[in-house]
Amino acid sequence: MSTGFDGMGARYFDGDRPMPQEVSLHIAAGMLQIGLDDDMVHRWPVADVRLLPDVAGKSVETGVILRVITDPLARLFVKDLSILQHLPHLKHRAPPKGRRRLVAWAVAAVAAVGIQIGVLVPLLADNLAGFIPASGERALGEATFGHIREALDETGLNPLETCEAPEGVAVVDAVVARLGSGQDFRDDVTVFVLDHPMVNAFALPGGFVVLFRGLIDAAEHPDEVTAVLAHEIGHVISQDPTRHALRSAGSIGVLGLLFGDFAGGAAVLFLTERLISAQYSQKAESGADAFAHDILEQANISPAALGDMFANMREKHGDAEGVTAHFLSHPALGARIDAALAAADDTRTYTASMSPVEWAALQGICD
Amino acid sequence: MTDIVSKGPWGSPPKTLPPAPPAAALPETDGLGVEFVGKRGALFWLALKTGFFTILTLGFYRFWMKTRLRRWYWSAIRPGGHPMEYVGDPIEKLLGFFIAVVILTFYIGIVNLLLMFVSFSVFSSSWLGYIASFAGLVPLWFYASYRARRYVLARTRWRGVRFGLEKGAWGYAGRALWYWALTIVSLGILWPRMTFWLEKYRTDRTFFGSARLHQGGRWTMLYRATWPFAASLLLLGLTLLWVLWIDPVFPSGGLDGAQVLSEFDALFRGQWTAMDLGNPERLLFIPFALSGMLFGAIYYNWVAKRIMAAHKCADGIEFASNLSGLRVTFIYVLGNFLSYMVLVVGIVLLVFMAAAVFGFGFVPEAAQAGMLATMPRWATLLLLGVVYVSIFLLWGVLHNTFVTFPLMRHMARTTSLSQTAGLNQVSQRARDEFAEAEGFSEALDLGAAI
Repeated sequence: MSTGFDGMGARYFDGDRPMPQEVSLHIAAGMLQIGLDDDMVHRWPVADVRLLPDVAGKSVETGVILRVITDPLARLFVKDLSILQHLPHLKHRAPPKGRRRLVAWAVAAVAAVGIQIGVLVPLLADNLAGFIPASGERALGEATFGHIREALDETGLNPLETCEAPEGVAVVDAVVARLGSGQDFRDDVTVFVLDHPMVNAFALPGGFVVLFRGLIDAAEHPDEVTAVLAHEIGHVISQDPTRHALRSAGSIGVLGLLFGDFAGGAAVLFLTERLISAQYSQKAESGADAFAHDILEQANISPAALGDMFANMREKHGDAEGVTAHFLSHPALGARIDAALAAADDTRTYTASMSPVEWAALQGICD
Repeated sequence: MTDIVSKGPWGSPPKTLPPAPPAAALPETDGLGVEFVGKRGALFWLALKTGFFTILTLGFYRFWMKTRLRRWYWSAIRPGGHPMEYVGDPIEKLLGFFIAVVILTFYIGIVNLLLMFVSFSVFSSSWLGYIASFAGLVPLWFYASYRARRYVLARTRWRGVRFGLEKGAWGYAGRALWYWALTIVSLGILWPRMTFWLEKYRTDRTFFGSARLHQGGRWTMLYRATWPFAASLLLLGLTLLWVLWIDPVFPSGGLDGAQVLSEFDALFRGQWTAMDLGNPERLLFIPFALSGMLFGAIYYNWVAKRIMAAHKCADGIEFASNLSGLRVTFIYVLGNFLSYMVLVVGIVLLVFMAAAVFGFGFVPEAAQAGMLATMPRWATLLLLGVVYVSIFLLWGVLHNTFVTFPLMRHMARTTSLSQTAGLNQVSQRARDEFAEAEGFSEALDLGAAI
């Protein structure tokens, strides 16, 4: 038995020459018979015929395109759609090939990015950071500090003011000098106080240590401010900010590659970069904490003050633990408080880092 | 984006045939028109569906999305009534992407870090590092764009016959750098020379089956296409001369930003007194001239394509195009306006939501106490993420629907094969395996839309 179809508008392309050939179409004995004008007949097993997917246009008006799995090139363009119901496997997919190769390259890509971000870039950044001349670090720090001051200013017109009341500045100098009694780093460190209510402090390349007014206001005891200062000086001494700048330069580009143009990639990139820097910082933070404990101890100031400051912060802002802890640059506070308390020697009598008069002067540094 | 177009069958348009071939072939008149059969609604749903899958799969479906959209567009374009076919495979694109990541990751990571180091150490500034790191990518960018075009052409067929592009990506990158340098040194005057010679480099290496294309004409013929841009530039120059020098609008000399702001304040309070401006309405010529330059740039880009298309040929095959520069500009402006509106509105919405979650200073207290603030933090982050990607999804979908689609349609319908006798002589060419597909272009983020 043979079923015939309307060959009107149907064309066969042999996959060699771009010349359309008129055809007659029959299905008989499980074979699609494509008859050409020169009496040649191509026979395609009906089970092997496939429909090209995602073709534009309504198929009743613009036709469909058929191919056979045994010939990657030949195409049959058909307008009589009644033929489709005789072709059972139109939408079957080709068995996947080259899977193993794909998996191998996928693993290689992940490994390359992992090695790059997890090993090579940090290694290189840590080693190179020591070779950047002081003037370079300083310029970088100044530029960054400028950007930060501009970003923090709410009017957007002038950079945020630094606080420079002379009595307050003198107190800061004195405290830094006392902290440096063991190892003199006064030349390496420049302290600024920013007139901003945020409770925060940070270090920048080139020995800049920046305290926010909000942190001084929030402190319940002058030693807490001194302890934070000691902690940030710890970052300066170990060149953490410089390394971080180099590391970001290396890893941001690599991540941009991976996420490509998907949704601009910026959000993913930002989150991932935060993750990386948080891990980096957690190690650095613990190091800076340890450094602070040491120099506070040497200056005969209680290292527990750092813990007090954190406890104070936790009371006001809550702890960051669980999922969100990964996104904050500081490790969970509880562990750091415990470390600070443990560093304090119970049998020793510490002295306060500032007299009440000096403390008042520091609190008034922005007035 | 236009990439689809320049990489597509259009940069080196399809050719066609007609002759009165042997008995088996159809009688065709000498010359073939190009039909475009797709409907906008169908494309919209395809783009939306595939974009949605892309989000669900964290971006990995984008290789399938690109493939499916290309299949659709290619099949909509029908020279002589017969559809083009895109046979690219998503898996090979994914593989190519991985290969490119492995190769590029070391280059980009280490090179960026070293550049930053040198920049800090020697020049005490990070800007130089940024510029150098960008400049280092430029040759790669050209290289990748040629490779991507080679891949797309190798996977494009018409009437069962493959297109192809010969190897030569580094040659292309070198020439592109050289012509760009000349263009910059000549302040843009030699731009048409760059357009022409780069297109000629690509076209002369393009094949349809066994037939090699040839780009004829001279580069100077493209100056015709520059007139709207040149005229607008001239208008801008004259206006600036007029309002700043010949008859200054600001007689008192320069103003700083604060002064201008206070003037506006005064204006809004109805106190237009302070400054003595000389006919400030003349300043309106400036935005007018700038819009003219934008129009001119789009016009040049497309009319240059049209002129060159009319000078492409192969043995016994010639092309004609009566693409309208005005129409293309209209599509661009309107379509981009629509899709960017969605983007802008969405981003503003996102910023407000983010502000409500993280409590930036400028959101009223009331908003912070709203629903967002009561959700757990991870949930709000997730929500923000979903909104963020949805905005870009919608932008991409609208861009396809209102820019790429009408552009492709207009190009298809205005292109024709004026001479097709040579098709009779064409035969199939061998498959170009090309393992890395368009991985470099994907990794370097070249073809943003498709």
